[in-house]
Amino acid sequence: MSQFQGMQVSSDTIRAAAGGDAVAQEAIYRECSRPVYAVIRRLIPNAATADDIFQDVFVEVLRSIGTYSGDGAFGGWVRTIAVNKCLMHLRSPWHRSLLWLDADEGDDEPRFQPIDPGPHPETQAAAADLERALATLPALTRSVVWLHDVEGYKHHEIARMLGRSTGFSKSQLARAHVRLRKLLDPMPPEVTGGSLSCTPLSTSC
Amino acid sequence: MHASIDQLLSLRDGEPVDAEIIRHAENCSDCAAELARLRRIQQRMESLPQAEPPAMAWEQIQARTHSQPVPGRARVTGAAAAAVIVAVISGLTIRHLDSTSQPPLASAGGERPPVADVVPLEHLVAQSRELDEMLQYLPERPSVERVAMAATIDSIEQRVQWLDQQLSYAPDTGLNDAQTYRLWRERVDLMDSLVKVRYAEGGSRSF
Repeated sequence: MSQFQGMQVSSDTIRAAAGGDAVAQEAIYRECSRPVYAVIRRLIPNAATADDIFQDVFVEVLRSIGTYSGDGAFGGWVRTIAVNKCLMHLRSPWHRSLLWLDADEGDDEPRFQPIDPGPHPETQAAAADLERALATLPALTRSVVWLHDVEGYKHHEIARMLGRSTGFSKSQLARAHVRLRKLLDPMPPEVTGGSLSCTPLSTSC
Repeated sequence: MHASIDQLLSLRDGEPVDAEIIRHAENCSDCAAELARLRRIQQRMESLPQAEPPAMAWEQIQARTHSQPVPGRARVTGAAAAAVIVAVISGLTIRHLDSTSQPPLASAGGERPPVADVVPLEHLVAQSRELDEMLQYLPERPSVERVAMAATIDSIEQRVQWLDQQLSYAPDTGLNDAQTYRLWRERVDLMDSLVKVRYAEGGSRSF
């Protein structure tokens, strides 16, 4: 579930911050900073760049807070600014990530050796494996899987933000999960063209 | 034939899926296992630890928030900047009126959806993206330039930023198709202006 959903900022605080009240502005920062930074780091792996974008997001939030209409959750409004900043950065042709932004299927096999999670998959090692597996995904693919699976964006919303089609978002999500399976599952079922090709059961397959 | 990963993801996310696929996933152990795995991965992603925001970030944000981008200059030259903006917008309007290939915009007050002969929204989005890319390839902005030029660019960029916010937020604010279309139309026009002004800016470096 998105961390933004639990964000609690009162309308009084928002109004005061819009009026330039430093205490209210800091209160908003304290409430929002962790989820904002978390989503930025998921979309932008480079820490220095993520830190820059983090600052840009809050500068924009505080400068444009007067335009927040009160319709919709404040957390959603803040998240939109954060996600847009990240996607704008990823789409920049000057950014090195562009080199692998649109990496398609048929790319090199992911270079990743999972740590053996042992009999308990919910261990720190498993979390570290997942972190590393996500980090091996192309920037755009990773963004789509994170925005959809964790932040709860719908495909049409992701498509709109990326200036792409809904089908593009869906295919990126499927591709991400195929890759994650290859990376994380030591005994994955064979996959052909995105479909499982496991042995069908005689009764139902 | 088993369910594809697309179908299993749709099933996981509660999106419309053929009843046949649902039945299959319920009865096929392999597909059921794959569906469970997709759910597990999602849960694991949600529970990954969060990175802590950088220390001292708030102080830097505060400093930036309270600093004005171009203090004083914009005020002094407001009239000049306004004149340039009016010229740009007038140019755009004239271009629209003269253009035979460009269809008319949806009506200003309109809650009506775009009519059939209007440029499809997808084309506007694609055009907008091309202009974004074009802008990225322009040379960096000069450190010293005419105030009117800087103010014009700032004004257009701020408006584009506002439009981007509105468009991204459209699903939550309930914008209808016609409103969304007008925002994209305006974005394309503004980006077109921005590219032209930035070209002019590059050409005026010798001043």
